[in-house]
Amino acid sequence: MSDFEIWSVIIALTLITILMRSSFLMLGDYFPLPERVQHGLRYAPVCALVALVTPELFLTQGALDVSLANPKLIAGIAAAVVTLMTRSMIAAMAIGMLLFTVLRT
Amino acid sequence: MVKVGLTTTQAIAMTLLVFSGTVQLASLPLIAADAPLWVVMLTALVVNLRFVIFSAGLHPFFRRFSIARRWLLSYFMVDMSFAMFLSRFADAPRDQRGTTEQVWFFLGMSAGSWMVWQTMSIIGIVLAAEVPAQWGLEFTAILALIAITLPLIVGRPALVGAVTAGVIAVVAAGLPLKLGLLVAVVAGIAAAMSAEIMLERRAKNVGGTT
Repeated sequence: MSDFEIWSVIIALTLITILMRSSFLMLGDYFPLPERVQHGLRYAPVCALVALVTPELFLTQGALDVSLANPKLIAGIAAAVVTLMTRSMIAAMAIGMLLFTVLRT
Repeated sequence: MVKVGLTTTQAIAMTLLVFSGTVQLASLPLIAADAPLWVVMLTALVVNLRFVIFSAGLHPFFRRFSIARRWLLSYFMVDMSFAMFLSRFADAPRDQRGTTEQVWFFLGMSAGSWMVWQTMSIIGIVLAAEVPAQWGLEFTAILALIAITLPLIVGRPALVGAVTAGVIAVVAAGLPLKLGLLVAVVAGIAAAMSAEIMLERRAKNVGGTT
């Protein structure tokens, strides 16, 4: 791509992204959502975050990999256990990264 | 980013302006492949669909603000700031939405994410060749997400939603354009709502017989 084309892409992506982020903030008053749907959106955060995490843990190169040989899965489970026990993010990340690094070598 | 043909300036401008990891990651291969502009835009459109859901979730809180302020809040909307915000304020009564505390909470969350993201991105762009990929540093982000997400799963409907979204995300990971993420979120919300309705009914029935 030429320099000009790349700048066009960057500007276009900027516009699309901000327009979609602002969609309901700007126009929500004109498109009222049903009470049920509005209420259901409270579950969106947890669902979005979990959906970001699980493919990273359970898939290796796009294939399901549930085994002790999957370092990401083991490290992720360890981090989850540490989180539930200590509520400390730093501890979860430290133990997770340690296990991940050790298991991979 | 520099590897696919962007100059350092362009790469930094992109991360500063677009401020969305998924959009940047999805568009780079297309740029590298010399795809037409409309293909890149269409891809961004699909990848961004979850922001429409986030925007709808935040609308009751920020609807009364000036247009300029809403643009600003939109720019800062990321998975993390949305998640932390709504899990804290979802139960706020109707007349206590859009308080100063809420705005600053959102901006504080966002400013933190923004600083970390931009700093790491720019370091990444400048040092791309020097940090070995084998360190697997990107995995720290996943671990952080785990630590943030688990405490947010409060109550049975949320648990049902989380498990559903998690499973669907794995099953649908092969879908193009990151659509699996969107499908997982929608399915998770639907499952959580169904669970909520079932629990309500059961509670009513029990209440009726005693």
